[in-house]
Amino acid sequence: MRSRTLKRFFTHILRTPVPDVLGFVALLAALGLLFAYNTAALGYRWQWHRVLRFIFTIRDGGFVPGPLLTGLGVTLRVVAASLVLSILIALVTALFRLSRSLLAQTIARVYLEVIRNTPLIVQLFFTYFVVAPLVGMDGWTAAILALSLFEGAYASEIIRGGITSLPAGQWEAAYSTGLGRRDALRFVVLPQAFRRILPPLVGQAVSLIKDSALVSTIAIYDLTMSGQVIVARTFLAFEIWFVVALIYLVITVTLSASVSVLRHKLLGKYEYHY
Amino acid sequence: MSTTIDKDDKDDKDDKEPIIHVRNVVKTFGNGVRALDGVSIDIGRREVVVVVGPSGSGKSTFLRCLNGLETADSGEIVIDGIPLDHNRKNRLEIRKEAGMVFQQFNLFPHMTVGRNIDLAQIRVRGASTEEARRNTCELLTKVGLEDRVDAYPAQLSGGQQQRVAIARALALRPRVMLFDEATSALDPEMIGEVLDVMRDLAREGMTMVVVTHEMGFAREVGDRAVFIDEGRFIEIGPAAEVFDNAKEERTREFLSKVL
Ligand SMILES: Nc1ncnc2c1ncn2[C@@H]1O[C@H](COP(=O)(O)OP(=O)(O)OP(=O)(O)O)[C@@H](O)[C@H]1O
Ligand SMILES: [Mg+2]
Repeated sequence: MRSRTLKRFFTHILRTPVPDVLGFVALLAALGLLFAYNTAALGYRWQWHRVLRFIFTIRDGGFVPGPLLTGLGVTLRVVAASLVLSILIALVTALFRLSRSLLAQTIARVYLEVIRNTPLIVQLFFTYFVVAPLVGMDGWTAAILALSLFEGAYASEIIRGGITSLPAGQWEAAYSTGLGRRDALRFVVLPQAFRRILPPLVGQAVSLIKDSALVSTIAIYDLTMSGQVIVARTFLAFEIWFVVALIYLVITVTLSASVSVLRHKLLGKYEYHY
Repeated sequence: MSTTIDKDDKDDKDDKEPIIHVRNVVKTFGNGVRALDGVSIDIGRREVVVVVGPSGSGKSTFLRCLNGLETADSGEIVIDGIPLDHNRKNRLEIRKEAGMVFQQFNLFPHMTVGRNIDLAQIRVRGASTEEARRNTCELLTKVGLEDRVDAYPAQLSGGQQQRVAIARALALRPRVMLFDEATSALDPEMIGEVLDVMRDLAREGMTMVVVTHEMGFAREVGDRAVFIDEGRFIEIGPAAEVFDNAKEERTREFLSKVL
């Protein structure tokens, strides 16, 4: 019994990104050693003891988050909001592209072309400096909107792919049993498409987390911005950027790993193929 | 509460009027293939019409035009008094009236067998979950799978899946059933169980259009047989006559190859 659970645990682990992560951490350690060696030669004085208080401090027996954790909080909030909004945008765009209405198709095409052929940072600046003042939007909204529009474009192509890759027979069976287009989508097509697109969608969410670092350029005090400020004040460049990178790594890996572990629950018990 | 194909409660229209009326139907695909080249047939209530012909002759296209999966370029199709035209509502009505069974079963793999059959009853007919499930269980009993209501399609054999697909096609109590090579994807030992279910349906008086390569079955169950080649109905006649005594040379040639 015990060994079976253990075995299942290990097969689970092997299917998650954990082995990759372990390899990556080993690589980081090796690089770190190399760095330490070279920086010693450069005369860089490591001051890891000064770093902790930027993460958190214990004052009067209480836990007080430092600027890095506060920044992480901002990053997570921006990411969470953008994730929800971008999925909504993506779903609507995918359905627009697949719709028979020429207008809907055109709107979707123009949106996709604009987003995918301009740099994210330009989109952020455009939203923040041009659109936001015109409509009276605050920086947060601008950041979330720009990120959602950007990731939504890519996610919509993933969703569209998931829908179109479904065998035509599923649509036909749905229609033949008397279901209309909307019910066919809702009960037959989308639930199956969801199973196919979950993994690439998680990859897109990881991109979103990384891309969110760019909101620091429009004065949002996210994790990256906090790191920048601390480095400017303390010159602890190596230590702080190490920590910041590590925090990003932890959240992206946690996301991917938890989804692959939860996959079974999210997708139902039965795997099938065509 | 009758869930069998006892259609007496529905048969309010004239019994002699054809339930399927097809006149000069032409269907051309985008690539220029003329899959149906002006076909006509009238099919009466309770009649079983078997359609045979070589690969690519237009058999599937004919069936798919009958329930609106394909739109004919020209011609006239009327099912049980409902004309199949560009009116979306008519199209939906006709799909309720005509159940379709595919070669590849096309069950919804993410739903249990029960849910596969419940779905349209709930969404299209507005049945309650309990009502739908009761009917589903009766349909499953009919196809001999009452104990598999909670199984997923992937857990069933091909023959069982096809029987579920037949039950699903019957869920809205259609007046017409269309079978497109329902046994062609099956291992030989499973063909019989599916043909048995189809035979029962025919005996109960279901109007059926059956595309099949099972010539023995076609001759036995078919009232009339249609031989189709290159998008045309080359020969239509009583099944026994077409199979044993075809008038057309092309029919005889085809049958001699497959029999
Ligand atoms: N969606 C489509 N697009 C283009 N051509 C098609 C399409 N569907 C069918 N055809 C063509 O129309 C003709 C008739 O096809 P159909 O599938 O009706 O034949 P069939 O008699 O069912 O053949 P089989 O016995 O192989 O199933 C064929 O030449 C086929 O290539
Ligand atoms: Mg065919």
